[in-house]
Amino acid sequence: MADTRTADIRTLLGGGSAEDRLAVTHFLVGAVFLIVGGTLQLLSLIALRFAYLFPISYGRLDPAANLSLMIGFATISLVGGVYYVLPRLTGTRLAMTRLAGLGLLGMAGLTGLGVVTIFLGLGDGGLPLGLPWWLDVPLAGALFVPALATITTIRSREEKRSFVTLWFVLGGIVWLPLLYLAHLVMYVPGVSSVTSAYAQSFFSGGFVTMFLVTVGSGLVYYTTVKEMDVPLASRQLALVGFWSLGFASVWWGAAQLIFGPGPGWVAGVTAALGLAWPIGALANAANVSMTLEGSWTGLGERPAVLSGVLGLYLGVGVAVVASLAGFRSVAAVTSLTAFWEAVEYVSLSGLAALLISGASFAGLPRMVGRRLESPTKARRFQRLTITGSVGVLISMGAAGILSGYSWIAGSNGGAYVDAGEGWAAGLGATYDTLILVALLFAMILLAGLGGYASIIFGTVARGKAIPQEVLVSRESADE
Amino acid sequence: MSDLSAASEALGLPETLVQRSAEARAAETGASVDEILAQWAGGETAPAPAPAPETEAAEPAEETSPTEAPADETSEPAAAEVVIETPGEPAEAPAPAAAPAGPYKPPVLVGVRDSPMTVLAGVVGLFVIVVMVGLVGPSIPTDAPGARSSAIGYSAQALHGREVYAVTGCAACHTQMVRPVVADVGLGPVNLNDTNQILGTRRFGPDLSDVGTRVTASQIEAIVNGLGEHPTHNLGPQDLASLVAYLSESATSTPGAGDPGTEGS
Repeated sequence: MADTRTADIRTLLGGGSAEDRLAVTHFLVGAVFLIVGGTLQLLSLIALRFAYLFPISYGRLDPAANLSLMIGFATISLVGGVYYVLPRLTGTRLAMTRLAGLGLLGMAGLTGLGVVTIFLGLGDGGLPLGLPWWLDVPLAGALFVPALATITTIRSREEKRSFVTLWFVLGGIVWLPLLYLAHLVMYVPGVSSVTSAYAQSFFSGGFVTMFLVTVGSGLVYYTTVKEMDVPLASRQLALVGFWSLGFASVWWGAAQLIFGPGPGWVAGVTAALGLAWPIGALANAANVSMTLEGSWTGLGERPAVLSGVLGLYLGVGVAVVASLAGFRSVAAVTSLTAFWEAVEYVSLSGLAALLISGASFAGLPRMVGRRLESPTKARRFQRLTITGSVGVLISMGAAGILSGYSWIAGSNGGAYVDAGEGWAAGLGATYDTLILVALLFAMILLAGLGGYASIIFGTVARGKAIPQEVLVSRESADE
Repeated sequence: MSDLSAASEALGLPETLVQRSAEARAAETGASVDEILAQWAGGETAPAPAPAPETEAAEPAEETSPTEAPADETSEPAAAEVVIETPGEPAEAPAPAAAPAGPYKPPVLVGVRDSPMTVLAGVVGLFVIVVMVGLVGPSIPTDAPGARSSAIGYSAQALHGREVYAVTGCAACHTQMVRPVVADVGLGPVNLNDTNQILGTRRFGPDLSDVGTRVTASQIEAIVNGLGEHPTHNLGPQDLASLVAYLSESATSTPGAGDPGTEGS
């Protein structure tokens, strides 16, 4: 019985090489957490708007949603994408596949346990993840596993020439555990609450720029070139994008606490490095656009490439909006408000889903030998995700700006400010309305995310059989 | 152990796939399936692979379907990829050594010779820089107006209340930080650097610095229990008392040295 069950699972996962089955499993697990995280994210927004209706507070829903989306969905799915491209770019088998499997088990298990822990009120209440130290530490260990497997694989590579994706993958997969380790500084006895606040924001920003967008963009480069069968427009531009994204992480935390407890020079650094994210995002989007020159008309037939391109351009939009808050004049209005929540919300759900689908829509069919379930569904996913993301970004961002102005006006009025609620009944109602509009767009976004998960599971379970890539060792193929 | 099992183990692939691959290979080379399997199982040493050309595709990659042979099955260049085997039906398997149909197209997934380990060193080096600039630097206490490095003298009960404040997730909506900006003028004295308050990075609800000077303990208790639009937290009596103590004792903090100047607008 056990043998039969094993064979069935292997068949479901495509029956190919161990690393491909591992990558497929990552995509599937990631899709499950996307549904969980997306739902929790929507609930957290409802709790923010109708706090008195909810048995669980925003303070618990938000970290639970972040945990599911950041680790459960984005990290696991992107690691799956990395395991998909690594053997194909290095000409060698993925190293430490068993350990990588345990790493997946660790990440998924700790994420699930973490969500339960937060709901039970046993988390530490910190953002973005709110995990207690006894889950934070093993999770940091689990995050080192993909880095270890990646470095070991690259060290033993057969192909001595590096396609740009290898840089993005290597950088992102190494930066993630280092970021996580750095944010654990808040557990060091005697560390001030100032350091804790910066550590939490530093991880939030670093996760998006140094890992999510970095690895996601790298995978989009691979998918675009592979699917369209055209060479990359500019390697140099790709490297500009890569290093810019690395520098961008510095600013996010400092920008949120501008005018806060940090030293004065932080504001200058924030403004300067705040530009690194849009520069990096724009460099990558422009590079892929130039690569696609002359091929735009056929893009509708390539859901993977289209998703990747949409993800890159959504990334540019989010980056531009967010980087504005790095300037003191803007930060005086936007810091501490829903403006930042909008950036985080869209980054972790819509942006992540589009970039990841750029890899999974291309990789899954090749690995499992089944056609992407439905191009129509893919287009619907893209439309809903883009619409929902842009809507949430604009409406929630506007709500944040409005409340920031309301604090200023309230202070000028000399009255105590009920911060976050607006200084007058009229504006308070406008703020609430904007959050309500954001809520409606968030529902559209969640429908898009559900569409992604449906496509992933539908492809593996019901997709029509097509040619399958099967990795074999170079020795046997060269006989 | 049969050659099939041994080959399956050596290649890390399911036996069914190895069997079909061997059949395809046998059909194209004229050797028997058993010979192919014996080779793959390690019975014979496989010829050493030719070094990968630097600018050309290592070998065309073939694809096949596990269940059917689609009419549109094509080869594609895969310059820097692991060679992909052809485990197709023997009668339908294309010759892997044959060039792709049509005019020659240069490979697309090409890179340049470099050292990923150097890149790795650069990646780690950049991380050290961003940690210093984005985390360590901003954490250094300052002498800005309103900045303090001393801890508020909370009671033991209030310190427990601080844990309740953290675990309940209060900091997701409330700050304990009054900045020297116009927006915060109405919130009381500037308060930036206390070591045992939880600063927070979002302010969906009111700031709670020195909240004890504005609200009584009983009012705090009512709010925590769901007064108005505040969510109900359902805390136990001891936790509730501790949380109230923590927030009430926040009133005992003293303003920092210097004037709470304002800037920004």
